[in-house]
Amino acid sequence: MTKTLKAVGIALLVVLALAAVGCRTKKTPAPVTAPPVATETAPPVVAPPPTRVEPPVDFVKPEPAVTEEVLPSDIDELNRVAQQRGYIQDAFFAFDESTLSADAQSALTNSANWLKKNSSYGLLIEGHCDERGTEQYNLALGDRRANTAKEYLQTLGIDASRLRTVSYGEERPFDAGHDESAWAKNRRDHLVIIGK
Amino acid sequence: MKISKFILPLLAALFATALSAQTQIQTTIDPSKATNVIRIAIPFPQLQASLDAQQINAIFFAPLTRDVAQSGIFAIAPMPPNVPATPDLLKRINAMYLLAVSAHMEEQDYVIEGRLIDTTGATQLGKRYRGPAGALTKIAHTMANDLVRMVNGKPGIFLSQIAFASDRDGAWEIYLMDWDGGNQRRITNHNRLSILPSWSPDSERMVYTSFSRNASDMYIINRRGGGLMRIHTGLGLNTSARFSPVSNEIAFVGSINGNPDIYVIKDNGSGLRRLTTSPSIESTPEWSPNGRQICFTSGRSGSPQIYVMDAEGTNVRRISFDEGQWNDDARFSPDGESLAYTSRVNGRFQIRITNIVTGESRIVAGEGSNEQPTWSPDGRWIAFQSNRSGKWQVYRMRVDGTDLMPLTFNAENKEPDWSKKPE
Repeated sequence: MTKTLKAVGIALLVVLALAAVGCRTKKTPAPVTAPPVATETAPPVVAPPPTRVEPPVDFVKPEPAVTEEVLPSDIDELNRVAQQRGYIQDAFFAFDESTLSADAQSALTNSANWLKKNSSYGLLIEGHCDERGTEQYNLALGDRRANTAKEYLQTLGIDASRLRTVSYGEERPFDAGHDESAWAKNRRDHLVIIGK
Repeated sequence: MKISKFILPLLAALFATALSAQTQIQTTIDPSKATNVIRIAIPFPQLQASLDAQQINAIFFAPLTRDVAQSGIFAIAPMPPNVPATPDLLKRINAMYLLAVSAHMEEQDYVIEGRLIDTTGATQLGKRYRGPAGALTKIAHTMANDLVRMVNGKPGIFLSQIAFASDRDGAWEIYLMDWDGGNQRRITNHNRLSILPSWSPDSERMVYTSFSRNASDMYIINRRGGGLMRIHTGLGLNTSARFSPVSNEIAFVGSINGNPDIYVIKDNGSGLRRLTTSPSIESTPEWSPNGRQICFTSGRSGSPQIYVMDAEGTNVRRISFDEGQWNDDARFSPDGESLAYTSRVNGRFQIRITNIVTGESRIVAGEGSNEQPTWSPDGRWIAFQSNRSGKWQVYRMRVDGTDLMPLTFNAENKEPDWSKKPE
């Protein structure tokens, strides 16, 4: 009985330790917020000379892990990586609709966060439709879809100068199938990272 | 030499019978108009001995007899083989005319002579055409046009051209073909999505949309592939561009901040005017033949429906009323009285023809989805795109749905636009 308890305890410890490590590597550093602008100038504070205090060796904390990532310089590769890791996410629509669902909003919010951190890039928003409508009307519908996303990204703080739109209507389906699963994939704003 | 002289007329006669039999089957004549149809005998041409009968048949005689058989004005009277076409024979086969054709070479050119002979033996029309081998099919269409003009006062449509988009060479580009699907050739070279061609009123130029700059832009090009220019509108979309039939204006769909509306701009990029201001989607404009009205598609009622307005954007009235359904691609008939458009029926798109004066409406049903109708210049035919074969192809049918035939076979083809001038 005690052996089992011990085993469980060790297992728990291992799990917790792993979880801690996992958290550390996954976490990205919190965004640096600009200090609030002081309305009155405070009197200059003269800092006392620093006193060197050696912490006990046992309590030295490990440096926080910093994950570095070199973004691919090739824009197509960058797009592939960004889509794969979910930095940039396409927004999907219902049939003959151009309003953003909760899922579409969250995809765009996620994409906006990446854009904020990577200010040297802009976004081409491609509006796409499924094949069930007519070509010419769908070109107009795709334009509306692309611009709905553009407006939403602007409300999230992305400058309009970084955002371009184009409508492909039903001309470039992502899935060539002719069923609802294909159509659902084809009704989307496809986000493409571009140089600013 | 003697043998070939003997064999050639024999071959010619064989071809003639085979062809006239074939064209007989293809011809469908509206019974109410059957009495107006003129029976004509067209024996295989008398050829200079050096000429290749098989080649002359393929690039000259077959297109000539197809044109005449499908003119709606003539019916080809089958000729018994190896019997000289005398006025007496014409009477026996109940034909009013004999078209006697001969072909010979002069230097590098073919010379085609045609004589239209009536039952008294008198020549009603005599004409000589000359051109290189590459022009023989055009000579056939020209001769058929001349025959129709003689009877009808108006030329046939056999030299009209159909513009369309195809992905046969990779990216979608703009192509042209003759009215019967012959002579298909590529006009644009963007190597990027290029779609929705529209003919100028003189049938010399086309306006279309290309995505060659990661944006959709309006371009003009001439029918030989030269004179390419981009029209800068300052708006988004620039799709569904349509040349006015009477002026140098182009109607198109422009967009500001995701609100697609109907605009007009001159072909030199000046004089931008906005015709619709609804917050809904407006799309797919087309001018009436006199340029005074524009039909278009709008989602203002909650689903895409067809509307007509004056060319100034005033006096908007709704044409299609099947609520909850989807209508688009409206095109005025050459007489301005009817609209052909794409209408969703039981989940599939069909061509609908609605008389906007009487309100009378009918569907020309077919397999698969059938979209983007375009009228022939004489209003007797409609070309459209259908996916009935599993791929988009361009088809042609009479306005009543008969005499249906595919015009394209290679890869995918869509968005036909028939030139407005018959010649």
